[in-house]
Amino acid sequence: MQRVKQFIIELCCVYTLISVVGAFVNIITGTETNNANVITMFLSCAIATFVLYMHRLFDNVSPLVMIIVQYLAACFLCALMILGLSYFYGPVTPWGWFEYFRSFTIPYIILAALYYYRVFSEAKKQNALIQEIQQKSREKNSGEV
Amino acid sequence: MKLNLYEDKKNINEHVDVYYANMRPVIRQIIDSVNKDRPVLQGRPADEDLDDGEELILDPSEIYYLDHIERKLFAYTKDGVFRVMNTLASCEEMLWTYGFVRVSKSNLINIYKIRQLKPDLNMKVYASFDNGERICVNRSYKKSFNDYLQKMRGIM
Repeated sequence: MQRVKQFIIELCCVYTLISVVGAFVNIITGTETNNANVITMFLSCAIATFVLYMHRLFDNVSPLVMIIVQYLAACFLCALMILGLSYFYGPVTPWGWFEYFRSFTIPYIILAALYYYRVFSEAKKQNALIQEIQQKSREKNSGEV
Repeated sequence: MKLNLYEDKKNINEHVDVYYANMRPVIRQIIDSVNKDRPVLQGRPADEDLDDGEELILDPSEIYYLDHIERKLFAYTKDGVFRVMNTLASCEEMLWTYGFVRVSKSNLINIYKIRQLKPDLNMKVYASFDNGERICVNRSYKKSFNDYLQKMRGIM
């Protein structure tokens, strides 16, 4: 139950963020959205959040593999979702598919790059912390002798 | 730390007084020594049979890391690999003041022996030791590892 709650909270945060960014993009480009887009965006967020939420299953593989597998899984599930929606809203054009995967891939790559940077910067900080602890310990030991 | 030793052959009430500013790991280790609670790890060389191998006392500060493989616990030191008869959880509890922290389900590493912490290109973070070996810091333990480092820095 706790996990479901956490998933819903994360989904709310992700959807809010995507909606706000989408609104800014619409203002800048002068475009407008419609109900079908809003539903598609929400379902895409739900799928992507669910797939990313499964990260615990990938604890034993490298983060790079995890990112790639999760991207492919999210793409596949989103494609299925779009196929499903196309029965209600009409067929998706090749350009529509391209647009969809482009708008899905770009934020994913940006977030993956941020994660990559964070892994390296965190390791650097922890390394500095370890050196500091070791240095303090050496100083204390030499002072005690 | 200043150390005063007073020898009195007639003293029948031997005692130790410890004056400290805060309970740092070194103070805890002194208390453990006086209380005879100093962690003692007994190990046998891993390449010998349990019954034949000579049991050795392992100094925690000489251990690089502990590895739990197939329900057996091994201690890796400069002098070799030793089979330890404790559990990983008991070692974690016993050795935290000696710089040992859990980094995966089966590994406890000594932060004083880490030469470098470095991520690979595949984003896995490895702790490298003086003996050239590497242990992966699992993502699930990243936060507790970081908290431990902060805690150790605070009490040093």
